[in-house]
Amino acid sequence: MPARQPSATDADVRSIKRAVLGRLYGRAPLPTLVGLDAAVDAVHTLLRQTVASSEGNTALVVGPRGSGKTAVVERALARLGEHSGAHHVVRLSGFVHTSDRLALRDIARQLLATQDLEHVLVGSFADAFAYILGLLRTSRGAGGPVAPVLFVLEEFDLLAQHPKQALLYALFDVAQSQQTPVAVLGLTARIDAVDLLEKRVKSRFSHRQIFVHGAASLEDFAQIAACALRVDAARDGPVADALALQFNRRVADILAAAPVAQHVASLFEFGKDARQLLRVFAPAVARISAAAPLPDVAAVEASVAMDAASAKMQVLAAVSLLELCLVAAMKSLVQAGCCRYNFEMVYSEYKTFMSRHMVAVAAGGVMRIYKKPVALKAFEALVELEIVRPVLPLAAAAEGPATAHARNDLLAGSAAAARAPKEFRMVQLMLDPGQVVELVAARADVPTVIRRWVQQ
Amino acid sequence: MSSLAADLGDRFPGREEQVDQLLTLLGDEHDPAPPCLFAYGPSATGKTAVIRELFAKYDTEGRHHAYVSGVECFTPRLLFERVLNAWAGHVPSLESRFANYARCENAVDFVNCVRDLLCDRQDETHYIVIDQAERLRDRGPMLLTLLLRLSELAGASISTVLISNVVWDKFRPRHGGAPDPIPVFFSSYTKQQMLAIIERDCPEDEPPKFFLTFVDAIYEVFHRNCADLNELRHLVAMLYPKFVQPVFEGQATRSEFTRLFKLCQPYFSAASERLYLREISTSEWQKYSAVASAATAPEDVTRSIYQMAESSEGLDLPYYTKFLLIAAFLASYNPTRLDAQYFSRAKAPTKRRTKGAAAQNAQDAKDRQQLLGPKSFGIERMLAIFYSIIVEPVDSSVDVQIQIASLVTLRLLTKTSAGDRLDGIKCKCNVSLESIRAISQSVRFDVERYLYNFA
Repeated sequence: MPARQPSATDADVRSIKRAVLGRLYGRAPLPTLVGLDAAVDAVHTLLRQTVASSEGNTALVVGPRGSGKTAVVERALARLGEHSGAHHVVRLSGFVHTSDRLALRDIARQLLATQDLEHVLVGSFADAFAYILGLLRTSRGAGGPVAPVLFVLEEFDLLAQHPKQALLYALFDVAQSQQTPVAVLGLTARIDAVDLLEKRVKSRFSHRQIFVHGAASLEDFAQIAACALRVDAARDGPVADALALQFNRRVADILAAAPVAQHVASLFEFGKDARQLLRVFAPAVARISAAAPLPDVAAVEASVAMDAASAKMQVLAAVSLLELCLVAAMKSLVQAGCCRYNFEMVYSEYKTFMSRHMVAVAAGGVMRIYKKPVALKAFEALVELEIVRPVLPLAAAAEGPATAHARNDLLAGSAAAARAPKEFRMVQLMLDPGQVVELVAARADVPTVIRRWVQQ
Repeated sequence: MSSLAADLGDRFPGREEQVDQLLTLLGDEHDPAPPCLFAYGPSATGKTAVIRELFAKYDTEGRHHAYVSGVECFTPRLLFERVLNAWAGHVPSLESRFANYARCENAVDFVNCVRDLLCDRQDETHYIVIDQAERLRDRGPMLLTLLLRLSELAGASISTVLISNVVWDKFRPRHGGAPDPIPVFFSSYTKQQMLAIIERDCPEDEPPKFFLTFVDAIYEVFHRNCADLNELRHLVAMLYPKFVQPVFEGQATRSEFTRLFKLCQPYFSAASERLYLREISTSEWQKYSAVASAATAPEDVTRSIYQMAESSEGLDLPYYTKFLLIAAFLASYNPTRLDAQYFSRAKAPTKRRTKGAAAQNAQDAKDRQQLLGPKSFGIERMLAIFYSIIVEPVDSSVDVQIQIASLVTLRLLTKTSAGDRLDGIKCKCNVSLESIRAISQSVRFDVERYLYNFA
């Protein structure tokens, strides 16, 4: 049946885009949290007890990446805000607050909203924190009730890695001693986050853990996508009802299409990450316009295919023939049993092969053996793409994963004067032999001799 | 929006699909933009050019996007302050004593400044464009995650665009906090696209079809070892004047391609590699290369080109120092056990052939020292070799020690023992085989005879 696009006004399309894309990109919360009601209730109860009965509470929300921990907490906070007294919310994150000092400064900024923070942050962490809470109490007036403070700590496991865990100790201590009603909620993706705590911190923690699992079944997981994509005419701004109906019907078609359903199933088996699921639909929805207000099934399928394609193979699909010969030489060195090699060895392997065979190129003529400097320039282009990486000597690798990560020192003139000139530094090919064969098979312009060499 | 797409499509032939993808994802000013976009592809595919031009035209005021380079911003503070300057439209000037918009040393300050700056611009999306984004991986484990999640942390609509030639698999931080971005792939140019781009380089007074035939010929020969558009443009720009010169001198007409190629032959063979490797610089080439014409003999042309490229080979060392360098090379690449055989003056007894000689040779082929690189040796061994290869007696040994020190300073020898050791110094030779051959030829010493197992 040919897809007949209905007509729509610009305003309608803009509302749809804003609502749906906002949900797909994570800028707006999903209308219903599938399968997370129990967790929301648990968190809400805990927070309500703190706000209404002035208790101190601590809990840890644990769940894998993309399972909805932040969404649960935000939903509980929103529900709380409707019918409870005044309370403060302080949000910290392990990514941003990388030391206790910075965290303390931000707590002061969020609670006191004063610019003059320097006189507050003196002394040890515990003293400064007690001073801040004291200021908070006095700012409300001498006889009035103290407003409870709710702390939301994202990436709790990163905060637990600060030296001496002063922040966590102070927070849990206040929660336990009940001087100021405080609730501390930690969010983390690590199941063993409690084991990271020191003994004195752990003893002040209530050991209350709220688990947020990913979707329990494939239907629930697909329901998340449907929930994010569907348009509700009342809630999502001024949208014509007929258009909303057709949009939702098209969404159902998209989710039923075979490649999309397969992709959703494979994501479910792989990691159940909701963000990754929603990302795939974004390009197709971004493409809608007044002339074509329904998303195209083919566009979603193309986006799914792009997601599944190997980026490395894409980038390598158009390297020059000389670079391909060098990769083939490295592959044959690996297959001959040599696991560490440098440019000199690769070049001598290349030269041996080329002098033994006459390589005829498609456009006529014979491919000649390139001189060493030209081959070195091609080799450096491969190093820049990170297809070939330097092998660190054992001493440097033992220093720690932080220094070994990602830095491509082969080309850089490193200060280590004991290392050899760059042609002699040991490297490693980051493709396995099967990928090299696939790379050569995908190209049409490779001479037959080289193709046979690679496929040996 | 479609006029912008058409405009960019004209400017950048072959990149229409990528421009279309980018403009769709960015949308209008009030549409939400993805939290992170990742533009990747091999080098010289137009990533930086297209994205910069796109943002310059898309963001008419200039206050909604910030372009920073991962190479320039080697500390996080530089990156943060530049982004804030661009969004606030603040240019450091003499009156403000070249101060930046705000002082931001760490992530917390940055997030707070962003929140304050953007609190009244809630509805508009702001962009950070980071070029050479692969450098960000080294700047601290959290920087990349922070930039990817800035939208959530600051509560404003911010989109980060990363440009890199490394694929996303190598960027993903280990602790897993960074959401995957939406990828935009910039594929390499096909032959037709490359020719269409280089055609625009044609000088005004030349016929385009003639120019195109020349470019086509160069592409066929050249793209086997380099698929890079910039290199091809450079070569065409350098060689075209030589190719077309005979026409101006009246020795050939524009339709006789074969004759023009034949006249230009010495340039192609001698110069194209050296220009590609930048052994001859562009300005040197334009000033000093001999003009191509039938009048100039091919040998003169070739010689002038070789002379231009020769400047790096001139290791003008004193006589004894050259022998010291040769001795260092021999010490680095010959095994110690064979020193007596090669270098002793007295007739050493020939070693008895052991049974496994053939097997040994076969294994040596892969593990040759020539391929593994120079070994480190003690200074005493090098001096022993030196004294044995010098024919005439050496006067004073003090000069020799000074020469060793200057060789180390020139980095022709590398010291591998600790810096403050005064005795038992170990060094490595840093010179290549071709240079040693040239040096030994200049002192009339046959180094080949002393090299063990060299191909």
